[in-house]
Amino acid sequence: MGPLIPQGLIAGGWDFVIALLLGVAFGFILEASGFSSSRNIAGVFYGYNFVVLRVFFTAVLVCMVGLGYFEYMGWINMDLIYVLPTFPKPMILGAIIMGIGFVTAGFCPGTSYTAMAIGKIDAFVFTGGLFLGIFIFSETFPLFESFYYEGNMGSLTIGEFFGISNQLFTFIFIIIALVAYYVTWMIEKRVRKTVNPFKF
Amino acid sequence: MNRNYIILAILFLILASGLLLLPERENYKQISPGELMRDVVQNTRYLTTDQVAQMIIEGDPTLELVDVRNEGDYFEYSLPRAINVPLDSILAEDYIGYFGIEDMNVVFFSNDDIKADQAWVIAKRMGYKSIYVMKGGLNCWIKTIIQPQSPAETASKEEFELYDFRKGASMYFTGAEISAPASDGEQAVTVKRKKKSSVAEGGC
Repeated sequence: MGPLIPQGLIAGGWDFVIALLLGVAFGFILEASGFSSSRNIAGVFYGYNFVVLRVFFTAVLVCMVGLGYFEYMGWINMDLIYVLPTFPKPMILGAIIMGIGFVTAGFCPGTSYTAMAIGKIDAFVFTGGLFLGIFIFSETFPLFESFYYEGNMGSLTIGEFFGISNQLFTFIFIIIALVAYYVTWMIEKRVRKTVNPFKF
Repeated sequence: MNRNYIILAILFLILASGLLLLPERENYKQISPGELMRDVVQNTRYLTTDQVAQMIIEGDPTLELVDVRNEGDYFEYSLPRAINVPLDSILAEDYIGYFGIEDMNVVFFSNDDIKADQAWVIAKRMGYKSIYVMKGGLNCWIKTIIQPQSPAETASKEEFELYDFRKGASMYFTGAEISAPASDGEQAVTVKRKKKSSVAEGGC
């Protein structure tokens, strides 16, 4: 059945509408998780707040398990899902640059918009810098072009890379995530002294 | 630690182990009996030997000829550029990669069209698209392409054109001599010169 747009079950023109709805939902969840505060985000690096790790790990877990069951039920054809090609070296460099931005400003691109939406001045400055960076990168792109496309490994999944099934990888990943939840919680408790777990 | 977190963690573990324990579900893509019947009763899957010959001659890159006879027959005689996938090993791991290639038109053939038709049904059930059967198989191929019969003198122009095509195809596939007037490839060029005339030739 799925994915809906590549299979033509939803006309291609609707993708912007769907993207808008998903974007609103994403922004809402970011704000509700407290990601509009740069203190919460930078807290990962100082060990007093691991909410970023928890929220994103949980999102990934829900998605992995959900897609696994969808595929089993035949509701989605995983071969039609777009998998971003892997370029190891440029991606590692990109991640380092992103991490430096993360720890210095306390925002990633997505959260800077949520913070702008609630009127944080540092977020406006950050977003200004973001566009300046995009502009400089685009103008000087020919200089890095060969590095940018270096070492294309194709659309590779971790399961394929290690030669294990996606189900097994999902299971391993969930174990890793649960251990990470527990360890980060212990670290938080030690660093912050007072921890108020979120009640739900 | 909040009890709810522990419950959620256990829930995730159960869901993940569920995924791990579920048997691989394959072939859920196979088509329904109704759809299969609809495709079986209509003859759109058949390609004539003439169409196949033309595709081979033109070097159609999307053409994938699949000989479903056994290996011995295949090595004895087959169509040019055909691959051999015996009918009984069509589902084997080694051969499955030949099917379902994007933009490729798979054409099954055998001596007649029974085995090829069976292969077609199997491939159809597996959900492959762009699959065809060469009508009449290799017997028909020999009769029409390799040894074409000249039509009766009262036959229509189309039949004669078809015969001409088949004759050409026969030469292509058997390497038969072309009965064209022998020449060394060079033709004398006769130069026609205009006669000189003093009269101004008419312009408008």
